[in-house]
This record gives sequence, structure tokens and C-alpha cells, in this order.
Amino acid sequence: MFKNYLKIAWRSLLTNKVYSLLNILGLAVGMATALLIGVWVVNEYSYDRFLPGYETAYQVKRNFNSNGDTLTFASTSLKLADALRQVPGIEYVAETDNGKAHGLAVANTKLSAEGFQAGSDFLKIFQFPLLQGNKDAALTETYSIVLTESIAKALFGNKNAVGQMVRIDNLNNLKVTGILKDLPLNSSFKFKYIIPFSYFETVDGGVKAARTQSFGANGFAEFVKLKDGVEAAKVSTRIKDIEKAEDNLNAKNSDVILQPLADWHLYGTYTNGKALGGFIDYVRMFSVIGILVLVIACINFVNLTTARSEKRAREVGIRKAIGSVRKQLIFQFLTESALLTFLSFMVSLALVQLAMPYFNSLTGTTLTLPYGNPLFWLVTLSCVAITGILAGSRPAFYLSSFNPVKVLKGTMQVGKSASFSRKSLVVIQFSCSIALIISTIIIYQQIQHARNRPTGYSVNMLLSTVVSNDMAQHYEALKNDLLQSGLVNSVTSATSPATGVYWHSDLDNFPGKQPGETVEMGTILTDAGYFKTLGMQFKEGSNFTGNIAADTNSVILNEAAVKRLRLKQPVGQSVKQFGRNMQIVGVVKDALMDSPFAAADPTTFYYGSGSFLMYRLSPNANPHTAVEKIGAIFNKYNPGNPYTYTFADADYASKFNLEVLVGKLSGIFAALAIFISCLGLFGLAAYIAEQRTKEVGVRKVLGATVAQIWLLLSKEFILLVLISSVIASPIALYLLNNWLQKYSYRISVGPGVFMLAAIAALAITLVTISFQSIKAALSNPIKSLRSE
Amino acid sequence: MLSLQHISKYYQAGGNKTFVLNDINLEVDEGEFVSIMGPSGSGKSTLLNVIGMLDEPSEGYHYFVNQPVHQLKEKQRSALYKQYIGFVFQAYHLIDELTVYENIETPLIYQDVKGSERKAMVADMLDRFQMVGKKDLFPAQLSGGQQQLVGIARALIAKPKLILADEPTGNLNSKQGEEIMELFRKLNKEDGVTIIQVTHSEKNAEYGSRIINLLDGRIESSKKF
Repeated sequence: MFKNYLKIAWRSLLTNKVYSLLNILGLAVGMATALLIGVWVVNEYSYDRFLPGYETAYQVKRNFNSNGDTLTFASTSLKLADALRQVPGIEYVAETDNGKAHGLAVANTKLSAEGFQAGSDFLKIFQFPLLQGNKDAALTETYSIVLTESIAKALFGNKNAVGQMVRIDNLNNLKVTGILKDLPLNSSFKFKYIIPFSYFETVDGGVKAARTQSFGANGFAEFVKLKDGVEAAKVSTRIKDIEKAEDNLNAKNSDVILQPLADWHLYGTYTNGKALGGFIDYVRMFSVIGILVLVIACINFVNLTTARSEKRAREVGIRKAIGSVRKQLIFQFLTESALLTFLSFMVSLALVQLAMPYFNSLTGTTLTLPYGNPLFWLVTLSCVAITGILAGSRPAFYLSSFNPVKVLKGTMQVGKSASFSRKSLVVIQFSCSIALIISTIIIYQQIQHARNRPTGYSVNMLLSTVVSNDMAQHYEALKNDLLQSGLVNSVTSATSPATGVYWHSDLDNFPGKQPGETVEMGTILTDAGYFKTLGMQFKEGSNFTGNIAADTNSVILNEAAVKRLRLKQPVGQSVKQFGRNMQIVGVVKDALMDSPFAAADPTTFYYGSGSFLMYRLSPNANPHTAVEKIGAIFNKYNPGNPYTYTFADADYASKFNLEVLVGKLSGIFAALAIFISCLGLFGLAAYIAEQRTKEVGVRKVLGATVAQIWLLLSKEFILLVLISSVIASPIALYLLNNWLQKYSYRISVGPGVFMLAAIAALAITLVTISFQSIKAALSNPIKSLRSE
Repeated sequence: MLSLQHISKYYQAGGNKTFVLNDINLEVDEGEFVSIMGPSGSGKSTLLNVIGMLDEPSEGYHYFVNQPVHQLKEKQRSALYKQYIGFVFQAYHLIDELTVYENIETPLIYQDVKGSERKAMVADMLDRFQMVGKKDLFPAQLSGGQQQLVGIARALIAKPKLILADEPTGNLNSKQGEEIMELFRKLNKEDGVTIIQVTHSEKNAEYGSRIINLLDGRIESSKKF
């Protein structure tokens, strides 16, 4: 019996080639989309979970009560690390820096790579697999380093690296005590090597001092591992108020909290002290889109099959007349749908295989289909089966319900009764597609809106290089050489690059401060050349003078900071910071150094130097050749590190990476959704044109023109698309408004977007169906009106 | 009114031409009532379609109200057709989705007649065919004879000079058929409408003023009464 069903199903596919093709193609594209998104979602959920014992690893963060608002910070003090070591239930604590590029050299091989300086228990908390060395001892010696496999290979070639020396920052030699397997891409940590934190304390006086400072001296990341079987909630209550005992405004307002490793990647955004959002929002959004695209594809299947039912009605009638019961017919039609779904699945695997490289380069992943994983097959094949049953059951139940006598006598108008539900399904398809089109337009508008926003400084021809130890020592000479080369206009050094504010601190005092008030200010240490190099404008007052004695007691604010401090006449007033009274000498106009989507950060500029060297190329310099010559100057003063640099405009552009990616993905999925919907529409238009052949013939005989027939056959679809627009618009508006709330600098959505999306959908629809309707309109009425 | 000269229609089948119409010469004057008869496959319907410009002959000359149809462009032909010709089918070919009223109105829409004028014309026609009470019914709710009446009303609404009827009574019982024929005769006599009908029935053919017998695509005989 089953074989018979399969045979009939196969023949039915072959005889209706166009319908089968439309069905299989639509379903395959839908499945490929869902599959691709599925693999991506699984990958996003796999972050950091490859580490053994990841369930007990946590990052320590602080919920800071800033005058009633809860802000969550990841930076903590070394005093907190030492305090946590005493808390029962916590097995290990590791403090780290925030990761930084260092110069590594072995003989003549030198390279610059990002590394971590981490406490000795780090590898016991995060059990990255060690190829050589052991996790208990690898980070205990001060002058040691643990390399990843690829860095070891880059430095030592095929020689065994363990026990060898690596020169760091042209300063000290570190002994290699372990080799880590390269970190997988789904690791939140991205370091290439680990240096013991004790080395950091030895070479950096500031860090050494921080060890004995109070809870407010935040600037380090900290991680803990809980003892097995200890509940995180218990430990959380123990550590929550651990800083409060200290009489210090910053500590008094800080709750210490834990974030489990498993949540790091997806729940990065804190609102009111709780990690509820983050990348998970996009994972959810694309999961929903994947399912929607698949549903759209299934609707095609349902619509095309029920529409075709007129042709199958005779067969159903005959089968019933010769004794088939309804159950058998349902089973037969389900077999057909299962066969078709399975064929689509095979095609979709091929499509995914083809699309994967592009998808990977777009999302920066290295996903593959896990063919060898039985779970993958189990999940996908069950999804295929469910899809087959869902898509096939409506046609199966509908077709099998025909009354044989009526069907065979030809008195039944088959297909008409299903037309309302068919239209509803088309409306669902187009509502989804139009909502996606609207989303894409709004996302792109928002990106464009932020891109066109005046930044308050200039990122063009501005380069940034991380200052190494050698560079810091020869800073003045390096600066002079750069300026004398004629390639560079101005040079400065600061604690943050042009496109970021890396340090925030609480002002000790300012005129008009309320008791208990805290003000978190962006804090940048820099010199007189900073504002010229970045192209920032002074609003009032003056720059640093270049005279160190005078400048050390000066501070420059930006407009946002003046506003935050509620100062009427800022220049000449004093604020207290770092234990000193600082006079406000100047106010600069706001610059968007942090997020291009947020208001300018209130920022204070003090005299000092930092680890970011920034220099602007002369306007007539050719960036390509200039960089080479500048590299030679750097190498002279910085023999331990290779010359590395970033362009500030590229750094600034990278702030849009996530939004651009989301925009591209939603654009692609909108295109796919519309494509699949149109495949279905094409089939439906063909069906309707066929069904109305007689009517078209009569109308032609009565004198209708091609345009009139075209309008007749198209207007129903135009109406459906317009209804879809009306349904999709408020839904998209609601969802996109939620998304836009993330950004304080955002567009206001106008009616134009919805009209544009509706017109676009309408145009695509008309192109799709016009082929069929014009074909019908051009056909010779005699053929359709021949009366047998 | 119309003149066919050496009209042939054939299909190329291998090396042979299969003639559907073979060298037809036919003159029809205004006010005539012509019945075309002949066995199945003799080319009756094709001849009617050629006259109605729904089909094109392979060769020959076709004049309609002194215009050379064989030289006209599609657009001119359709204008000519819209103005002068009304069609009545054996299977009625009413549009199932439209009511009686709307079916009759449709040709006027295609001739860009204004809404108010259309209303008056359709009302007139409904009145004349005594179908005012049925104007909101759909074709499926009518008997065959009533449907054909609607079909004729629709053919007449644009005031054609020529009505082409392809076995108009073929699907009707004899009483209904008689009524339709009486109607045709009345239209022909009182309104001066030229009628060309294809029919199998001797009796119906005799309503006409001329009977043309076709056989294998040729005019075998033509007799006037």
C-alpha cells in the first residue's frame, strides 16, 4: 500500500513539473534559511560551554547606585579580589587586566598580540586545555608566560617552546611554562597568551599600589569558581554587601554581583542591575525570523496544493467511488507531502552548503553543518517530518473531504470554498515579508542617521598606536621625529584612543555638589596636542599650556560634563580630583568618542600621558606610503615590537558593526521571505488565471482589452498586498520602536517608510503575477470558449 | 454588410494542408437572417468565428461594413468588432461570479459607456426581456433558457448591427429553443438586426431568410426563402 502511495506521489510530482518545482524551491529556500539560522543560534548558545566546569565559573561585577540609577560595571578593585578569597563557598579567585597587546620577541622574530595578565588560579577557573604544562603551576612564577599553540608556533616554529624564553615589550624575559590549545571561536576570551598577574604587579607601579588601595580603586576584571555543590545564590548574598563596610562613597554604593560564564556572551546588557538583554535579543529575533520564513514556505505548499485540488478532485472522487476510505486518502496525500518535503530538505542541504561561506564571512563565524552528529540528523529530520505533516495536513484533509458524487458529476465548485483561507494565508505571508522590509529600511535609516551625525572631531587620517615601554621612554624624541618627517601634523598621547573613553571616575568634589551625590566622568589623561590632533573645538577658555607645573592642576571639561556638574560659568572654577584641587581652564565642544548612538559622554581631560599614541597625517600625505615611512621611525625607537597602527575612521566605523550586520541579515531574510512568497504567488496567479480562463475568454469576446483583463486578474492580489501592508505596519512599528529604544540618538519613524515598503511589495507582486495575467489576457478566447 | 472572398483556413499537417474552410465566398446584406448548417466538423463554428473576427483565416479577403478586415490592425479590428457585433453562445458563457445585471452591463463597461447611461440601458434591456425580478440572481440560479436570454440580452445591449449565434438553442429544450428563435425573428424583423446563426436543427434553420449548407469546409448549397 505504502509503495503504491509513494509511486503515485512520485508520478504526481513529475506530471506537475512547474508546481512541484515551485513547491520544492520555495520549501527548500525556507528550510535552508531556517537551517542556517538554526546552526547559527546553536553556535551562539555554545559560547564558553566547551570549558569543563563552566557551570561553576563566574565573573564578579558591581551594581553601582548612581544617584538612584543602577549602573553595572565589570571593573573591580584588587582589594575585592583579596576579600573574596576569604568568602566561604568560593574556591578560586583570579584577577586580570582587561587584555592588551604586548610585543613578544624570540631572537629576531617579533610580533604584537593581545594577551591577558591573570592571577595564578585563572586556569583552574577556566580550564582551557593545556597541551603542555599543568594548570596548577603554569602561572605561579612571576617571570613566566603561557602561550597558545599558534603563538608558540609563530615564535618558535616547530621547536618545543616550553622552558624557552620570550622577551616581552623589550623589557623582560619570560619563561614559557605551558602551551594552550588555541581558543575556539566560541570563546568569550580572545587572548593569545597569559602572563601571571604577579608580573603585572612587578613591572607596573600603579598596579602594585592598587593591591593595597581601597575598594574604590577599580580597574581590574575578576573571576571566581564556586566550590562544587555550592549554590550561587548563597554566595551572592554573602558577597553583595562586602564593600559597604568601607567609608568611601564609591564602595558604599556598590553591590557585588556574579554573572555565570554561560550568560556572558548572550546577556551582556544590564538594565537596573539585571542582565536581561544583550546579544540574546538578536538570537531571539533571528530565531523568530527563521521560523517565519519556514512558515511562509509551508504556506506556499498549502496554497499551491489546495489551489490545485480541482485537478485532483476527480482522482479523489474515483478513489472514493472504488472504495477508498477517507483515512487512506489522507495518508496518501500526507505521503506526497512528506516526499516533497524530504526532496526539499535535500535541496536545502545543498543550498546551505553553497551559502555557508558567504554567511560565515558576513557574520564572522566558521559554522559548518555537523553531518557527523547524530543529534543534528535527529533534530533536522524531525523538523522535516513536522514540516511535512503541518504543510501537508490541510491539503490532505481538504482534498479527502470531497463528496465523490458531486465531484464526478461536476456539480461541485472545487477550490472555491478554500479561497478565503488561501487569501488569509497569502496575507500572513505578505504581512511577514512587508514587516521584514520595513524593519530593514528602518535599521538602515537608523545606521545612516547615526553615521551622518556630526562627531565633533575628525577621524580622517588619524592613526593610533599602542605605546610600548620603549616608546614611552623616548616619547619626546619619537614625537619630534614624527613631526619633522613632514608626514604628520600633530602628535599626542592619551589614556584612551580617539574613538573610546576607557576610564570613568567619580569626581571627589565640585561646586554645588549635593551630599552623597556621585558623578561618573569619562577621564582622559593627555597633553596639549590632544585637541588639535583630534580636531576638537574649544568653546571657551584655553588649552593646556605645555608647562607641566601649571598643567598638572588644570582640567578641561566637555560641554556634557559642564551640564552634568550644573556649572554656570565653568572656566576659573575648581573641582577636586585625585586628591588635588583642579582649576577648569577650558571647555571643549562635545565629541562622540564613545557610542555614535548615545549622547556625548561627560568627559574630563587632565594633564598626563597614556598608552595610546595618536597622530594625524598631513593632508597632502599619501596614507599608504606615509605609513611605511612612519613605521621606520617607530622601529627606531621601538625595537622590541613590530609597528602596528589603526586608523581612527576604521575604528569609528566598527562601532556600527553590529547594526550593519543586523541590517544586512534582516535585508537578506526580507529578500528571501519576499522571494518565497512570490514563488507561491506566481503559482497562485497561474492557478487563478487558469480557473478564470472561461471568464477571461467571455470578457475578451465582449471587448475587454489586455489592460482590463490584467487589472481584473491582478486587483485581488493588489488588495491582499495592501491589506498585508496595513497589518504589517503597526506590528513592525511596535517592534522597531522597541529596538530603537536602545539608542538615545535615534530616528523618529515617519509614514514614508510604510508607504515605501507597501509600494515595494506591490511592485514585486505585480511583476510576479503580471506574467500570468498578461499571458491569460493575450490568450485566444476561442480556445477557452470551445463548447463541447 | 459583409463579404468573404476566397476565404480559406487550413492547418499544415506534415506535407498536407488540412482545410477547415476551403475557398468560401459569402455575401451577407444588412437585415438578413442567415442559418448555417452542416454536419459536425464541416467548419460552421470556424466560419462564424472568422466572421466575428475571433479567428483569422489563412488566406482570403474579408470586408465588413466596407472595411477590409484582413488589412486592419488588431486594435482597429477590435474597435470595429465592439461597435457592430454581438455574440451568443451555445453554452451561454455567462460570468458565474457576476449577477444577471452585471453580466448584461459588462460589454458597456468595455465600451466606456458612462455609469448613468449604462444603468438606463441595462434597465431598458431587463424590462424588454422581462427579467427585472431576476436582475440580482447569479447564472447558477437560472434555468438554461433564462441563462440564454441573459446571454442574448448581453449580446444586444451594445446595440450591435450583427448578431452571431453559435447553436444558441443547443443546450435548451424545444420549448425554450422556440422562444429564443421567436426572439431572434422579432429582432430581425422589428429592429433590423442582422443575424447569423449556426444550427443543427432544420426547424430552427427555417426561421432564417437564407440557409447555407457547409460540407468539409465548402459551401455546398445556399437557398433563400
